[in-house]
Amino acid sequence: MSAPVSETATAALQEPDQPPAQRGGKTPWWANQRIGLLVLVVLLATLFGVLRPAFFNQQLVVFPLLRDIAMFTVVGLAQLCVLSIGHMNLAVGRMAAFSMMITGISYDLWHFSLYAGLLVGLIAGAAIGALAGWVIARTGVNSFVVTLALDFLLLGLIPLVYTGLTDNAAFVTKPDGMREMRNYSLADICIGNVCGSPAVPQLALFAVIAMVVVGWIYSRTKLGRELLMTGTSVKAAELSGIPTARRVITAHAMSGCLAALAGFMLAVSTGSIKATIGEEFMLPSFLGPILGGTLLAGGFISVWGTLLGTALTSVIRKGLDLLGVGLESLNIYLGLILLVALSTDRIRTVLSERQEVRQR
Amino acid sequence: MPKSALWYRRTAVAGLAVVALAVSGCSTKSSNDSTADPAGDDASTGSSGGPVTLKDGSSVKLALIPGGAHPYFQPWKATAELDKTEFKLGDVTFDETGEWDQSKQNNVISSLAARGFNAFGIFGVSPTDINTTFEDLKAKGFAVGSLASCPAGNTNSADFCLSTDVEAAAYKAAKATIDAIGGEGTIVHLTGNNVDSNTQRRIAGVKKAVGETGGKVTELPVVTDIDKDLQTAQKAVADLLASKGKEIKGIVTTAYNPAVAAADGVAGSKLPIKVVAIDDDAKILAGIKSGGVSATVAQNPVGQAYVGGWLLALLGSKQCTMKSPGVIVDSGSFVVTKDNVDTYDDERKTKTKELQTEFASQLSCQ
Repeated sequence: MSAPVSETATAALQEPDQPPAQRGGKTPWWANQRIGLLVLVVLLATLFGVLRPAFFNQQLVVFPLLRDIAMFTVVGLAQLCVLSIGHMNLAVGRMAAFSMMITGISYDLWHFSLYAGLLVGLIAGAAIGALAGWVIARTGVNSFVVTLALDFLLLGLIPLVYTGLTDNAAFVTKPDGMREMRNYSLADICIGNVCGSPAVPQLALFAVIAMVVVGWIYSRTKLGRELLMTGTSVKAAELSGIPTARRVITAHAMSGCLAALAGFMLAVSTGSIKATIGEEFMLPSFLGPILGGTLLAGGFISVWGTLLGTALTSVIRKGLDLLGVGLESLNIYLGLILLVALSTDRIRTVLSERQEVRQR
Repeated sequence: MPKSALWYRRTAVAGLAVVALAVSGCSTKSSNDSTADPAGDDASTGSSGGPVTLKDGSSVKLALIPGGAHPYFQPWKATAELDKTEFKLGDVTFDETGEWDQSKQNNVISSLAARGFNAFGIFGVSPTDINTTFEDLKAKGFAVGSLASCPAGNTNSADFCLSTDVEAAAYKAAKATIDAIGGEGTIVHLTGNNVDSNTQRRIAGVKKAVGETGGKVTELPVVTDIDKDLQTAQKAVADLLASKGKEIKGIVTTAYNPAVAAADGVAGSKLPIKVVAIDDDAKILAGIKSGGVSATVAQNPVGQAYVGGWLLALLGSKQCTMKSPGVIVDSGSFVVTKDNVDTYDDERKTKTKELQTEFASQLSCQ
C-alpha cells in the first residue's frame, strides 16, 4: 500500500528527485524497496530459525514478536502521517503518554469501559496533535521546533498530573477485557469451528485496522492526495486550491491519534498506564517508515514499507536476543545488520538505474 | 475505471470486510474460558524448619534479569555462577539487555524462556507493570522471584519477593543524615526517576524521618530524575550547591549516581555539608574512610542473588512450593559509617543466612 502523489500532479510540478517507485512500470520488480525488505525479513527469520529453532516457538517468540511489530507499526504510521507533508513529530512518544494519561484518568476516576477509555484517548491524541498542527500552520514555525517544544511541555506536565492523582505514578485500574486483550490470540477468535492462529495476538488487529484506514486515506481519498501534494510542494498545493493549513492540522491530528493508539497497545501489553509510556517511541517511529521508503521530505509514503521496516528491526533484535548476544554487542550487531540491509537496498537501486539507462 | 484503481477498491472493501468480521461476526472466548495452568502447583508435602538442601538442580536453568545495566547488579553476575556451581544447576545466565524498558525486558524474558530457562529472578523495570509479566510466566509453569524490587501495590504475583524495603532504607538514610547534622537544620533529598513507585516510597521514607524531628529539621524540595547518568547528577549537584549550598546542612541520597555526585561535589566545594549515600560502591566506601561521606546505606545484592537463586532452584525443580505464594521479605539494609566500614559485610552475611532460614519456614517441600 504505497501512495505517491498523483502522476499528473507530479509531472506538473516537475520535481526532479522522485523515488524510483514513482516512475510506474520502468522499475524492475526486484528493485522495489518493499520486496527487498520482505526478502530480507524472510531471510533473516530463516537464518535465526536455523541457528535457534526456538525462533519459531509460537507462544514464547512469535506471539510477543508480532505484538511488538504491530505496536511499532502503529508508531511508524503516526510518524508517517506527518512525514507525508514533509513535517516531523518529535513529540510522538509524549503524545502517546498524554493520551494514555487521559485514558488512565477515564478508567481510574470516571470508571469508563476499556473501549470508551480508548476512544477518549484517541480523541485526546487527535486534539493534542491538532494543536501542534495549528501552531505550525498559524505561526509558520518549523514542525521540528514546535513538536520539540510540545515534547518538553508534556514532559513537565505529565509527571505533575501523575504524582498529583496517583500513589505509584501509574494508573493501575484495569478495566474488564484488558488482560484478555493482552493474552488472547486469533486462536480465541472463531468463526464456527474454524479458529485463527495462536501465534497472532489479537492486539495486532489494531495495527491491521490502522494500516487499512491510513492506506485507504492515502491511496483512495482526495484528502490523502492533498496531504501528499502539500508534502511535495506547499506552494504548488496552494496554487491548486488545497487548503494547506488545514491539511497540516489534519496530518498532525492523525499523527496524534495513531500515537495514542500505539500508547494504548503498549499499556495493554505491559499492564498499566504510566507516565513513561512512549519514551521509546521516537527512534522507531522514524525507523519503520524511512526503512520502508517513506520520504523525509514528504510527498511519498508507504504503509506496507512501514510494516516491513518495523518487522526488520524487530526480527533482528529478537534473533539477537535468542542468540544470547550480550548488551555490549547487541546494538553493534543491530546497527551493522541494518547498515548491510540498507546498503543492499542501495546496490539494488543503482543496478536498477543502470539497467534503465541501458534500456534507453 | 483503471485496473489498479479497481484493485485498490476491491482490496479496501475486502480489508474492511475482514475487519468488520473480526469486530462483529466472530466470537471471542470470555475470560472464564481461560484454561491457564497455574504454575508450580504440584502438591508437595512436609515442611522444613531449617535451610533446605536442594536434591537435584540439574533440571533448573536459572536466569537473573536486572532492568538494565547498573553497577548495583554487577554482584549478581558472579553470584549466578556461584549458584550454578554450589547448587549444581543446569545452566545460569545474567541478562541485562532490558535497557530499562519494560517492553524490552519482557522480550528478553520470553526469549530466555524460549531458550529453555525455567526459573527467573527478575528486577522489574516498572513496579506497576511487573505483576503482569509475573502472571504470564507463572501461567506458563515457570518459577519466578521478584528480586531487588517488589511490585507496586499490595499484590506480588511472583512466587516471592526478596528486596530491600526501599522506604525503610530511605528512612534509615534520612535518620543517619539527621544524626550527622546534629538533629537540626535543612536537608535535601536527591533521588531517581520521579514517576517510579519506588522513588515515591523513598520520598515517603525521608519525609517520615524529617517529620519525626518535630520541625527541627526541614527538607528542601526533593531533587528527582538525576539517576540517569553520573553527568546529569553532577550537574544537578553543582547547581544545588551554587544556589543553596550555604543553607544546606545535609544531603541524603537514595540513588547511586546522585550519591557519587554529591560526595564528589561536596568534597570539591569545601562546604560543611554532611552527605549520606546509598550502596557500597568502592568510591563511596573510600569517601566514608576519608570522612567526605558521613554514612551510606548498603543493600544486599549478593544475598538477593544467592538466596533468590537457591529458592528458585527449589521451586523450579518442583522439590518445594511456597506455602503462601507472593510472600515479601526484606533482604536488609545496613547503615555504614566510619566505625563499621570494615565489618558491615559480616553483618550482611549473617543476614543472608537468616534469609535462608526465614524462607525455609515458608516452604512446603517433598
